[in-house]
Amino acid sequence: MKLEDFIQQNRSAFEEEGPGPKVWAALEKELPVKQKTRVITMMARHWWKAAILVALVANAGILLTFLQTKKEVAVVIPEMQEMEQFYTTRIEQKLDELKQIPAAELGLDSTTRNELELRNETYRMLEKELAGNPGNERIRSAMIRYYQMKLELLDKILDEHNKYNNDANTNSTPLNKKDVL
Amino acid sequence: MTLYPDNLENTPVTNQIVVRCRKGDVRAYRELYEAYSKAMYNICLRMTGYSADAEDVLQEAFVQVFKNLDKLATDSSLTAWIKRIVVNHCLSYLRKKKVYFEEVGETEYEEENKVDESEHAMTVSAVKEAIGQLPDGYRTVINLYLFEEYSHREIASLLGISESTVKTQYMRAKERVRQLVKIKTREV
Repeated sequence: MKLEDFIQQNRSAFEEEGPGPKVWAALEKELPVKQKTRVITMMARHWWKAAILVALVANAGILLTFLQTKKEVAVVIPEMQEMEQFYTTRIEQKLDELKQIPAAELGLDSTTRNELELRNETYRMLEKELAGNPGNERIRSAMIRYYQMKLELLDKILDEHNKYNNDANTNSTPLNKKDVL
Repeated sequence: MTLYPDNLENTPVTNQIVVRCRKGDVRAYRELYEAYSKAMYNICLRMTGYSADAEDVLQEAFVQVFKNLDKLATDSSLTAWIKRIVVNHCLSYLRKKKVYFEEVGETEYEEENKVDESEHAMTVSAVKEAIGQLPDGYRTVINLYLFEEYSHREIASLLGISESTVKTQYMRAKERVRQLVKIKTREV
């Protein structure tokens, strides 16, 4: 048999195993991709998630200062119970919607998710204050502010998530490595 | 998983990987490497003869592949392009080792089929070993022709020598392999 034919017929038997892992390890460090750029791109896409946490923490801070103020605030809320009912129902409804989105897809960290819960630390603090000072208008209006803020944030999160999802669907279908290689 | 050596043509898969690499997708670089590293490492191993050197050359070649991916024309074959970069890196490695690809004075290559090769039972390991024992110059020519499937003309241009020199060296290399295989199979 001619050498050319022999090699052609046994081509795969001539192949050795691939290179060791150190080649990729070295290559990875030299990839023409800037890690920093990726972080910035990611932040640009998810800026609003970072903003939520800032807003939540700031809101809790504002409420605390609000409560500590000695000045009387003349806010009259006649239908406190009805108001509470109105907000809690809507908040619970939004939270349910949010929980249907997989955590990974939503990309919110656990601190932010905890802050978004209806009965979180800020809520319990307000509740305690309210129980100790029934009829205190300041605490009541703080509670309302708390509800309003939470509802606005939840709306914003769901809006942004839907908007981003629609964009992603119209642009391109993500390529699954397992499917193509 | 292997895109090579079965596929010299660009496919939607290779095109997608290139597009994603250009966008800076780290995973795409990894996929590109996984798809080609084995075949390209084998080229390096055949050309250098040493696994440690083969890995070094492979790494250098891939750095160049990754850096120049955006210069690859959309209609040119990704596989052929990567292979050419790898082969060129192997050749500069050999040149650094002072392997010269020189013209031979006379072009006295024998006719093909002059020697009846059918009488010798060849084995993969014997052929591999025989090629490995060739002087660097012969080994390069035989590898580029038989394994990397370049034409005599392409090899001539890669090595910077005339086509007739390539042919002569190839015939001599082949004859040497034949003799070595004969000895090896007799030993067994």
